[in-house]
Amino acid sequence: MAEGIGQPEGRAQATGFIRNPQDFWGGLALVAFALFSLWAGSDLPGMRGFAFGPGTAPRLFGGLLLATGALVAISGLITHGPPLERWGIRAPVLFLASVVFFGLTIRPLGLVISAFFTLMIAAAASNEVRWIEAVIWSAVLTIFCIALFIYGLNLPLQLWPR
Amino acid sequence: MMDLLSNLAFGISVAATWQNLLLCLTGALVGTLVGVLPGVGPLATIAMLLPITYGLPPVGALIMLAGIYYGAMYGGSTTAILVNIPGESAAVVTTLDGHQMARQGRAGPALAIAAIGSFFAGCVATVVIAAAAAPLTSVALLFGPAEYFSLMVLGLIFAVVLAKGSVLKAICMILFGLVLSMVGSDLETGAGRLNFNIPELADGINFVVIAMGVFGFAEVLRNLEVTHSRDVVNAKITGLMPTRTDLKAAAPAIGRGTILGSLLGILPGGGTIISAFAAYTLEKKLAKDPRRFGRGAIEGVAGPESANNAASQTSFIPLLTLGIPPNPVMALMVGAMTIHGIVPGPQVMTKQPELFWGMIASMWFGNLMLVIINLPLVGLWVRLLRVPYRLLYPMILIFCCIGVYSVNNSPTDVYATAAFALVGYWLVKHDFEPAPMLLGFVLGPLMEENLRRAMLIARGDATVFITRPISATLLALSALLLIIAVLPTIRKKRDEVFVEEG
Repeated sequence: MAEGIGQPEGRAQATGFIRNPQDFWGGLALVAFALFSLWAGSDLPGMRGFAFGPGTAPRLFGGLLLATGALVAISGLITHGPPLERWGIRAPVLFLASVVFFGLTIRPLGLVISAFFTLMIAAAASNEVRWIEAVIWSAVLTIFCIALFIYGLNLPLQLWPR
Repeated sequence: MMDLLSNLAFGISVAATWQNLLLCLTGALVGTLVGVLPGVGPLATIAMLLPITYGLPPVGALIMLAGIYYGAMYGGSTTAILVNIPGESAAVVTTLDGHQMARQGRAGPALAIAAIGSFFAGCVATVVIAAAAAPLTSVALLFGPAEYFSLMVLGLIFAVVLAKGSVLKAICMILFGLVLSMVGSDLETGAGRLNFNIPELADGINFVVIAMGVFGFAEVLRNLEVTHSRDVVNAKITGLMPTRTDLKAAAPAIGRGTILGSLLGILPGGGTIISAFAAYTLEKKLAKDPRRFGRGAIEGVAGPESANNAASQTSFIPLLTLGIPPNPVMALMVGAMTIHGIVPGPQVMTKQPELFWGMIASMWFGNLMLVIINLPLVGLWVRLLRVPYRLLYPMILIFCCIGVYSVNNSPTDVYATAAFALVGYWLVKHDFEPAPMLLGFVLGPLMEENLRRAMLIARGDATVFITRPISATLLALSALLLIIAVLPTIRKKRDEVFVEEG
């Protein structure tokens, strides 16, 4: 998709053929999602007489989404709007990486190691990161989480690698 | 009347046990603590704190969640007054005059009036809920599947009309949520739907995953992009108590705000936001000198804060009596109730009276505690507000991760949350509002079930929705609302309401 085009800041109006790119691409993506859901549900049985089958409601909602998504995309061609916003790289990548890291390590490595390194990766997502502070803060938060979730709330989480 | 009193007394006896009082206090305190953080609204707060209620009995868990909810609402207004950043959309209005008061060194009275107004509104709203619950529940028992379906349509349309931004895009978001809610097993036949035979998707997408991904994480991603210039009030807060003139000016505004909020809160849709805006507009219209507004008028804090709190409480009415969540926060409550094995709806009041009345009574206790804990703690909140964001967001992250993981002890849920964080980030970049999506997602299975049953009972005759009088009325109302919302002249007015000085 054509993300990243356009000015980074300000309320400038988009120029060119697509005058409201946020709506146009947004609507188009929803149309694609609707088509995908219709395709994914195409093998489900539909109406049996006057009784709904498992596929009826997904098709109904998917079809309506298709139609409204298309309308949004069309309105993106005839209205004026701001250009697409630039996507950040550092923040989303590192932040989401830390979430995935937590999912990968919580079982094999236990809460102590998993939480500490998850917090460290997340800390790097901000461009204001201060490393010494981040290490201390991650350690403090890890201890806090252990106290709260394991001792305070008795959640069945493992502490150390198994 | 006697019934009402005895029910309330019963509720108080449930809520006033030491354990429940403590839970209510903890909820209110933690809710405020998280709600005060700039950029964290009630929705994210409840999503984040959901895991701390897992181990509790259902009554205790709901009491605590309700406490978290008011705490978060109140914390949001504290942030609005002290930093000029609304913690949630309803607090936008509070920033207008509240922050001005704070700049004039009157943060104390502003916070106190917000607390007192909220407390008064909370007391009235509690009685309104108790009084309206029984009759509404009996109405609910008259509802058949067709009526339920139409009522949900009305609720969704309300949400669309009251959401800010494009009506069409809000409808799109609701449908997006509805399609997502179809993933999983079919209720009647058990056939797997849209799940690509992935075992983790057999039960559908977990509600908590969507809520935390789209509201918790996506919010962080967005906040990481903007450098916060926080305008924390530096002046030492002296003189907490409002003067006699302040009270005299604020009292009628609190009364009007309470009435307005109680009424608007019952409506499905974005109750709290619209009631805060409506109360502000009303106060400005009624004022002898409207120019004072936006320059630190105490009525501009008292009215909206009362309205917002009254509405946040009366919005429990549709949830508790009809089982239909009127706004995204209540949708989250449904998710929380489901985790504890409670199906919200008219049967809660008859089958689990201790839960129903206990929760209502605890609302009053919660409000009282908020007044007591918040006023002395203002200094602490101010200090908390100076904590830089780079220290705050890792905390949000790790709470959400542990919370999502421990719902099912499933790492897959954690990955799915990351995916929905990306979806939420994308939605914001394309100016789609995610709140209607969450509402659609929660209402999806309910809508399908009732639509299906209605069609089956009517033997496939789709006109059943317009031949049954109640259903027809609800649908006609929905159509009317939608038409009004897209009419150009009224649209312009509506946009003005949302833009006004915000």
